[in-house]
Amino acid sequence: MLLLRYIARRVVFVVPQLFGIVLVSFFLVKLIPGDPAVMMLGPTASAQSLAELRDRMGFTKPLLQQFTRYVTDVAHGDLGTSWQTTRPVTEDLFQRFPATLELITFGLLLAVAIGFPLGVAAARLKRGPVRKFADYYGLLAGAMPDFWLALVLIFIFYTVLGWIPAPLGRIDMAVLPPPTITGSLVIDSLIAGDWEALRSSLGHLALPVLTLGVINAGPILKMTQSMTERTLSSDFVRYAEMCGLPRRLVLRQAVRAALPSVVTIISVLYGFLIGGAVLVEMVFSWGGAGQYAVQGVLNADLNPVLGFVLFSAVLSLVIYLVVDLIYFALDPRLRS
Amino acid sequence: MSVGTHSGPAASGTRPTAGGDAPWRRRLRFFLAVLRARPSFALGYAIVVGVIVIAALAPWIVPFDPMTADPAVYLLPPGGRHLLGTDGAGMDIFSRVLYAPRVDLTIAVAGTLVSAVIGGAIGAVVGYYEGQRAWRRALSTFVMRSADVLQAFPVFVFAIALVAVFGQSVKSIVIAIAFVNVPIYLRLTRSQVLSIRQLRYVEAAYVAGASDLAILWRHVIPNAIAPLVAQLSINIGWSVLLTAGLSFVGAGVVAPTPEWGSMIAMGFQNIVTGQWWPSVFPGIALGLTVFGFALVGASIEVLADPARRRVLSGSLG
Amino acid sequence: MDATRILEISDLWVSFPAYRSEPVRALKGVDLSIAPGEFIGLVGESGSGKTTLARAAMGLVPPPGVIERGSVLFDGRDLARLDDEARRSVLGRELAMVIANPRAELNPVLPVGRQISNVIYYHLGVRRAEADRRALDMLRAVRIPDAERRFGAFPHELSGGMAQRVVIAIALSCSPKLVISDDATSGLDVTVQTQVLDLLKRMVGENGASALFITRDIAITAHFCSRIAVLYSGEIVELAPTATFFERPAHPYSITLLAAFSHSAELRARWTRLPDAAADALPAGGCSFASRCVRRRERCLAEAPAPRPLAGGRFVRCHFPVDESVAAEGVT
Repeated sequence: MLLLRYIARRVVFVVPQLFGIVLVSFFLVKLIPGDPAVMMLGPTASAQSLAELRDRMGFTKPLLQQFTRYVTDVAHGDLGTSWQTTRPVTEDLFQRFPATLELITFGLLLAVAIGFPLGVAAARLKRGPVRKFADYYGLLAGAMPDFWLALVLIFIFYTVLGWIPAPLGRIDMAVLPPPTITGSLVIDSLIAGDWEALRSSLGHLALPVLTLGVINAGPILKMTQSMTERTLSSDFVRYAEMCGLPRRLVLRQAVRAALPSVVTIISVLYGFLIGGAVLVEMVFSWGGAGQYAVQGVLNADLNPVLGFVLFSAVLSLVIYLVVDLIYFALDPRLRS
Repeated sequence: MSVGTHSGPAASGTRPTAGGDAPWRRRLRFFLAVLRARPSFALGYAIVVGVIVIAALAPWIVPFDPMTADPAVYLLPPGGRHLLGTDGAGMDIFSRVLYAPRVDLTIAVAGTLVSAVIGGAIGAVVGYYEGQRAWRRALSTFVMRSADVLQAFPVFVFAIALVAVFGQSVKSIVIAIAFVNVPIYLRLTRSQVLSIRQLRYVEAAYVAGASDLAILWRHVIPNAIAPLVAQLSINIGWSVLLTAGLSFVGAGVVAPTPEWGSMIAMGFQNIVTGQWWPSVFPGIALGLTVFGFALVGASIEVLADPARRRVLSGSLG
Repeated sequence: MDATRILEISDLWVSFPAYRSEPVRALKGVDLSIAPGEFIGLVGESGSGKTTLARAAMGLVPPPGVIERGSVLFDGRDLARLDDEARRSVLGRELAMVIANPRAELNPVLPVGRQISNVIYYHLGVRRAEADRRALDMLRAVRIPDAERRFGAFPHELSGGMAQRVVIAIALSCSPKLVISDDATSGLDVTVQTQVLDLLKRMVGENGASALFITRDIAITAHFCSRIAVLYSGEIVELAPTATFFERPAHPYSITLLAAFSHSAELRARWTRLPDAAADALPAGGCSFASRCVRRRERCLAEAPAPRPLAGGRFVRCHFPVDESVAAEGVT
């Protein structure tokens, strides 16, 4: 089938890119000063145990050899161990990635729910309060620092109003999390019918999702507005008006023509947020993958960083592939 | 309906030339008219100019030394001698908020300019060489694939790693910002060059035998500059955010240097217990600054694009 | 004045404001009327105001353009003053436009059959299945081969000629009273052009509709227009029945247009005058064609001519129209 062949071709191109990413990250992290053996064993370790550790971890071998060993390990599905958590990186990531994904997925859903309708409305109404509000919001939202907004929201809704539970993690410590199926606490609670877990996880999701949603709605709004404005003045819309087609239909057609750009920006935001939500994750002690990688960098813990970079690169590429498929569905001109 | 002040129905549509008006004066007047018609643009320029002025004059206008901690007055609420209150170490927030753009703006502008120059140069060459024979095409393909790899990196983690590699200092933050922004300017200039390359007059120059460099310099670059400048402004704003974010996690500017991001970090614990001012005010300043740069960038986009300029001038009357 | 004129344009002035200078006058006092069943050709070069006139006829002068003076009445109604919904119910149904660049103006993501069916569905209020059926009939009527398959085709999959037929199908699908064709055959190959013109003439005639056929190419108006109007710089400089126009053109510009087709280079040269370098220096207020007119005299520079009736049901805007004797000199 044509579709499968297209996907296969994309996947083939992905491999050298992934290789390049691993290459760059490997040597980048290796450049970070600091002796990992000392960090692992502590400053009071004896010279001998340090030397033993270095030998065992392969730090004394030439860099290229270390790299090839890492790559072969990865090819076998082994991403190494994090010396901070003392667990295999794959395990750590499988635990943390769903947390990040749940957060950014809900966050982006909220952002689309806010930004898209506002953008369409702003494109339609040349003047008026809605348009003014949308214009300012679009720029202001992208200008706000996300970690700052998170703090402000915590202050308002937790400290002052007390509506939201304490911003620590994804669920109340006293509440038992539901059995893991998708990794998303909300969905898993729904599946298990566990209302207490559902309420708790929703309560903990509320503020970080609100933060990400409010901020990312800005770029989505701007893109929707500018593209819809452009399509509303395009030739085929003019022609539809000349044919006397009803206004709702013409608007719908114009919005649909603007969709590919909106989908593009959503996908760009999604890819960005995988690593870019780390500040929000840190404010809410979310235990997400970005946080994990940042700790790795700050402590010269190589494997978590590499593992995270690989994972997020693969995710980004999958996202772009899905987006291209969406383009195919939207625009028949691309199908030939 | 009136026909206005024209001499009669047969008056033709010739426009009187603006006599002895110098071209720069005309442009300035147009610019000011635009500002009046679009107050949001005016606001953006006001903010940017204001922040730059504050940054420049900070040492002379701050009431307190931004780095002197007076533990006796820690966590005072806003009001009185301390306009915006004091933070947990007893430093005056107002002074620190005014001082911070010196660091933030310098880093952001430097990093952005470096990335624009490097990325723009590479992008222009790549765009020009693309599709041509042999080593040129191979070179441009290689550069583009490398840019893809670079852009596939999670931006924040990459920036932190770079700062870790080069040691925590202003210079390394600038390098980090430059690195993560290069692909943007690379792609921008490349696509500009590609589309300009198609234009007839460039083809004509090529056929007439002008050298590659001459074509690039005289034809391609002047046309590609405008979107670049707009992007610059927006980028500066975004780089300020990145700097603040880096400082927030402790991988940016070293405390107690006043910087909006590290100030917000310092006030983190306080806000949960109810003292909101150490974190809120720097954030407002930060957001406003980025907002101002974004507005300026948007205005440049409109002014630089002749089509949108026409639409704008039509609405000015 | 026949009260049942389908289109009545009276003293129409349309201008576009410009920043800090005189507004640009796209149309200056245009008078034109079309009777039911009549075919009028409107000839003008680029920039003469043809498209503005077409748009004004539909009540759709694009902003920032304004109608300074005069009126446009379609079937007795001023479309520009109707509210949006009322105008939408007229456009596409009673008054339809055949456009010039179909593949750019058709919706790229909808199959063409669906686009025809949409117009029928929303204007005539029939069920969707019925609208589809009629759309298919229209495709067949415009002689698109393999109509059933082409119903689901996208605009980019069609050739220029076929896309033009689709647009004609859309225009005629609701049996309009007036069809405006704006440069509808420019850009088509000559053979295709002839086919499309024949098709248009036949189908419009079959419906008893009127047509305003706007074009840059004077030759094709001879085909099937009963009257020809020549538009120059926003003014109608000549309006005459077709036969009379081609035998005895009156306005110097008309002759320039016709002379361009002549085989005689000398004739062409005699009737063409490139605009002077000093054209802008000519005082405003005279005839707008003065800068290019080979026959201009003092009076032409000072006073703009008003439309004058001539023998044979013609109107001409010229102080010194070419009279019969000059016209007989082999301008064919």
